[in-house]
Amino acid sequence: MNSPLSNIEVGSSGIIVQFMDNIIAGKLMTMGVLPGSKVRVVRKAPFKGGLYLKIDGSNMVLREKEAETIILSMID
Amino acid sequence: MIIALVGNPNSGKSSLFNKLTGLRQKTGNFPGVTVEKKSGKLLLPDGKATTLIDFPGTYSLYPTSSDERIVLNVLTNPSEKNYPDVVVYVADVTNLEKHLLLLTQVRDLGFPCLLALNMSDLANRKGISVNEKKIAEFLEMPVVMVSGRTGDNIDLLKSAISNLLKKNTNGKNSFYAFNDIEKEATHKVDDLFKSNNSYRSKLIAHHFEKLPFLTEEERKSVAIICQESGFDNLALQINETMRRFDKFVPVLNSAITKEGEKKALTDRLDAILTHRIFAPLIFFVIMFFVFQAIYAWASYPMDWIEEGFMFLGNFVKNTLPESWFTDLLTDGVLAGLGGILVFIPQIAILFFLISILEEVGYMARAVYIFDKLMQQFGLNGRSVVALVSGGACAIPAIMSTRTIGNWKERLITIMVTPLISCSARIPVYAVLIGFVVPSVTVWGFFNLQGLAFMGLYLLGIGAAFVSAWVFKLILKSDEKSFLMLQLPSYRWPVWRNVWQNIFEKVSVFVIEAGKVIMVISIVLWVLATYGPKEAMQKAELEATQIAQQTSLDEVATADLIAAKKIEASFAGHIGKAIEPAITPLGFDWKIGIALLTSFAAREVFVGTMATIYSIGSTKDEQTIHDKLAAARNPTTGAKVYTAATSLSLLIFYVFAMQCMSTLAVVKRETGSWKWAFLQFAYMSILAYLGSLITFQCFS
Repeated sequence: MNSPLSNIEVGSSGIIVQFMDNIIAGKLMTMGVLPGSKVRVVRKAPFKGGLYLKIDGSNMVLREKEAETIILSMID
Repeated sequence: MIIALVGNPNSGKSSLFNKLTGLRQKTGNFPGVTVEKKSGKLLLPDGKATTLIDFPGTYSLYPTSSDERIVLNVLTNPSEKNYPDVVVYVADVTNLEKHLLLLTQVRDLGFPCLLALNMSDLANRKGISVNEKKIAEFLEMPVVMVSGRTGDNIDLLKSAISNLLKKNTNGKNSFYAFNDIEKEATHKVDDLFKSNNSYRSKLIAHHFEKLPFLTEEERKSVAIICQESGFDNLALQINETMRRFDKFVPVLNSAITKEGEKKALTDRLDAILTHRIFAPLIFFVIMFFVFQAIYAWASYPMDWIEEGFMFLGNFVKNTLPESWFTDLLTDGVLAGLGGILVFIPQIAILFFLISILEEVGYMARAVYIFDKLMQQFGLNGRSVVALVSGGACAIPAIMSTRTIGNWKERLITIMVTPLISCSARIPVYAVLIGFVVPSVTVWGFFNLQGLAFMGLYLLGIGAAFVSAWVFKLILKSDEKSFLMLQLPSYRWPVWRNVWQNIFEKVSVFVIEAGKVIMVISIVLWVLATYGPKEAMQKAELEATQIAQQTSLDEVATADLIAAKKIEASFAGHIGKAIEPAITPLGFDWKIGIALLTSFAAREVFVGTMATIYSIGSTKDEQTIHDKLAAARNPTTGAKVYTAATSLSLLIFYVFAMQCMSTLAVVKRETGSWKWAFLQFAYMSILAYLGSLITFQCFS
């Protein structure tokens, strides 16, 4: 099942299958976030802010808007 | 010989730089831009002296902020004076698969490269083992395991650098094969620039609009080439990035083995420190302690500096013959110098604490915690660093906004940072609060004056956010804004880096603020010392007569003469000229003079008031306070420093842009006087209206 990263609940994981925004994709990829990367949502920020993520073992934060453009394939 | 230190953010590059150069480093700017350039002398084992340049951390040669852009600009321009002979690439060995993209790009540009696998100490602790030989073979370059934190293998790294300089060779295999579009476009760009490096040509095709070394004509030609060959910027960038990762990730997987990782300390700490409810609370507690520490620790060294300068001033006065030159030296130059140096303790202590927070990795969390809130006001999570630093001095704070990629967010941060009460406002607050708030203890242990102090700070912070929100509505921009931040693991601070950072921030303040404060101090001295000749003589005569009639002692006589003279001086005339404008705020011409002199630095207010009220020989805040409390309006006999006037004056100092040095830095950072002027204008209006309303309500 595929879903945008922003819709995923805290504690769930998935594999990146697609980027919907080329500018964000370009930037994320230079940071080593690629199709095939494993993403887990660790927590969501105070003030309904960004997402604290574990991506391939390293910690990263993204805005909700940025997360909306990343499509994951869910892992059970 | 120039050696470039290049790498991603969080690669530990700065630690390594400090370790390699020690104290032989200096800070400057890259030509034409305001990006800070750190360079230092690196002495190699074979006796060769080289220059090591620490480039800003970036993930790739596709930059998104002005800091990152400088790496591209220098590395693609062989005639740039910082163009390196070799590149030492620093990568975090514990996170290597994310750190090699830029290295493959830099090597494709034709630089002889060396890979320093940094943080070897952490790798050992995490049970990561690396087959360096395999990586070296694949990358066709020497690989050295080092630790910038512990200093392990630094000598090995130095000899590897000198070998690299001797051999001066680059690998043969490119890490990225062009597709047909790229081949066609880069061929033409190669011809245009007579370049033999087609990756450089590809980067020119990508970035020609913003590369500073291209002429207008060259830009037009490249634009035509790109159009003809259908060069799709974004798609090609993504394609390139993917291909590069595809090439090196499998190699790394076979060269690196990781033992099963236990749940790291970082994750456990972040469960609390980035907790959705605790996180902001913890942040405010930390900030509270930071500012408490500044008051607790800074007052002693500040007193020493003040007393030192007073002693020096008296010494010069007593040693040199009485003349205008001696006066200039003591009241202009020395006073100005003292006014600069007295802030060093506060600035040093604040940046000491901020550096520690940055070193341990906490600041990146603060950026994350407040990003959403900051966005509501047109700012960026990264603005937190500038706003906190603004509590010491707006100058280094404004310079720290360079990490904000989005121009609008950066500009708004710059525009509102001076509203955060800086250390120069403290002496003014200290004198004036005494008139408004009694020194009593409430709720057991809170000092009411202390609470008033905090209120003024909060007022400044509130004004900063409201102004930011207004700027957000006014300024238009379609530029994308990002958070996308990698959070480094928590680690123990490297003290060498902390000292280095304090030294840098203090130097910036002394040099940037110092030159302006110095000049203005001298100008103000002239204005306050000279006046229309007749008026000055009359003032002196009058003062002497009064002194004789009331049989004042020598010191009091000198003080009275000084007071009468400043009234007759040019400064006095200006003060009286602006009096009608500031009467509605509850200010008289004496305060007018003090407002004027505050342009050098806000704390000059206290000294000026001392002179005007003929107690120039004392520097004691209590004495000044008593004198001001007794001051009465000569015609009405009413007290000048009523609660309303004092409150109005406090409000004025919270909002007013009374710092020429900051304006100069804003001009430099934004590239035009327009923003500096706008900042001055809006803050002055805010101050005037704020004071007007306050005075009219309370009087």
